[in-house]
Amino acid sequence: MKKISAKENFTSNEMIVVYIIIALSFAIGSINSSFFSVGTIFDTSRAMLIMLIFALCEMVVIISGGIDVSFPAIASFSLYLTISLMNKYHINNVVFAFAFAGIIGLVWGLLNGLLIGKYKIPALIATLGTSSLVNGAILVYSNGKEISNIPSAVDVLSQKYLFSVASSTGGKTSMTVFIILPIVLCILIHWVLRHTMLGRKIYAIGGDTNAARIAGINVKRTQYFIYAATGFLIGIAGVSNSILMRNANPSNLMGSEMIVIAAVVIGGTRITGGHGSVIGTILGVLLLTIVSNNLIMIGIPSSLQTFTVGLIMVIGTSITSLKAKKIALSPKI
Amino acid sequence: MEKIISKIKAADKNELTLFSIAVAITIIMATISPSFLQGTNIRSMAFQFPEYGIMCYGMMICMISGGIDLSLVGIANLSGIVAAEIMLKMGSSNDSIFIAFIAAMITGAICGLFNGYLVGQLRIPAMLVTLSGGQLYTGLCVAITKGPALTGLSPAFQKIGNGLLFDFVPISLVIFIAVALIMDFILRYTIYGKQLGFMGTNHTASRYAGINNLNVTLKTYMLSGILAAVSGIVMISHYGSAKSDYGTSYTLLTLLIVVLGGVNTLGGKGKILGVSLSIIVLQLISSAFNILRFNSFVKTLVWGLLLIVIMVLRAILQSHNLKFWRRKSENKVS
Repeated sequence: MKKISAKENFTSNEMIVVYIIIALSFAIGSINSSFFSVGTIFDTSRAMLIMLIFALCEMVVIISGGIDVSFPAIASFSLYLTISLMNKYHINNVVFAFAFAGIIGLVWGLLNGLLIGKYKIPALIATLGTSSLVNGAILVYSNGKEISNIPSAVDVLSQKYLFSVASSTGGKTSMTVFIILPIVLCILIHWVLRHTMLGRKIYAIGGDTNAARIAGINVKRTQYFIYAATGFLIGIAGVSNSILMRNANPSNLMGSEMIVIAAVVIGGTRITGGHGSVIGTILGVLLLTIVSNNLIMIGIPSSLQTFTVGLIMVIGTSITSLKAKKIALSPKI
Repeated sequence: MEKIISKIKAADKNELTLFSIAVAITIIMATISPSFLQGTNIRSMAFQFPEYGIMCYGMMICMISGGIDLSLVGIANLSGIVAAEIMLKMGSSNDSIFIAFIAAMITGAICGLFNGYLVGQLRIPAMLVTLSGGQLYTGLCVAITKGPALTGLSPAFQKIGNGLLFDFVPISLVIFIAVALIMDFILRYTIYGKQLGFMGTNHTASRYAGINNLNVTLKTYMLSGILAAVSGIVMISHYGSAKSDYGTSYTLLTLLIVVLGGVNTLGGKGKILGVSLSIIVLQLISSAFNILRFNSFVKTLVWGLLLIVIMVLRAILQSHNLKFWRRKSENKVS
């Protein structure tokens, strides 16, 4: 926020999203006064937590000129396999849960990287294939059933809170400990993208792959890294999701790729690659979370929710794409 | 004999491969289980594939134009629901079936035009447009039906998806063949078909050649929407009801079929024959799984695997050919 206003760029993509969020918050608040409370902040951050991790990974992939629609499948795969193996072999260890899920995600991510980097298959088609493969595999393994008893050592985490605030109604609202994960990731990814050679490479590949290769960047290796690293994070996000939800469902996350991609694009990341920022992505996720969480509060019936979210996706992505086109067509000095 | 051999040599490699895969599956399945070649199995296959087969042609023309259409299932469901609503409101008379059919086509065309406008005029990437467009159309479906399926369609209408023409050929198969022939004619013998191929090969060059890219894009997505609507009609008539989440697995399936059928994923190239053969191959595989009593989840896995393996094989073959030609030309120079 501070950085953007310092630039005095009040019409940037991020600021437009900020305006929309503020306007929407006041609209919801004026209809339902209970919206303005600490509880809402906690609920919203809890609801957007997993989606934010997905969106950050997706953003890095899109900046590099690719796209990933396989992350819900990879997350479902790693969360289900981890929890089921832990139950089977009585492994009651927090570190194992996260490490194992991360490694599974990394393996699938490497497959994506191999298909896209080595064999030059269009990213959308490659990841659609991976998605179907991974999802099919975990459905065959799980037979479509969900696991509801999570190992006790990790289950405890769902009840761990960072801090609690007494709400106006007398109860207590608490911030889950998992909020640390996306916050650390945001800072880390922001740092990598802005201040390391690797981040510059990712932007360069997304801007123009050939130019990047000629400039001496190892495109293949960078792509491997991008997909493997995001796969690792997605695996961790998957297992965090199952701990938060306190069950392991192989098909719960499926279908969330659309809204995550929309959130990333609304946040100003160009789908053609080369542009995007962590702050924008956070704002995009925040906007879509507020919309989908509070539609009932402002009196939109549940049957209209899919439509409303779809409409916001179409409008949001159109606005950002049009802005990108305008910049691309503007005369260059 | 020589004529046949030269004809085979001249035929498209991809189509030949697909044809041999189809024959191989049929022979293997016929030896494993004799029920594979029985009339009931063949007839049930003929009833199953038209609904997604028609969609494949929509995906195909969009891919030839250099884009992609991920909203086909959404459009199909929306048109189906519009048709079902009209029929239910008008008391399922024969006139209402006709009106419903027209209304479904118009719905499909409008959805397609919307996609086409965003892709062609505003130059938003097709993948993004159709991805969020699909969500929008599915949302409209939910808004209209409020969730549950629309049932009670008239038996006369259900004949489209379940009836036989002359007690022998499924009506939906006849529709499918008609669509395939029309699309083949459009792609091969009309100006639009040529323009579509040019635009997909090189967008800028086609603009300088005097082709109205916007016009071609609009037509392409409209045609794709209309095809989705036709398949939506066949689908609701086959199931006897309309719902917002029918056929959700068809998005991946149509993409797989089109890629398998030899359509260039970057645009420009694609043949109706290849896609049609690939539809038949996929239906044979799916039917074989049903007879072998595999879990339906296995199908998802195998489809994904198939898509990846085909793309990788094609990439390897392509680089191999490239090296071969390079070596040949180097030899010539030296």
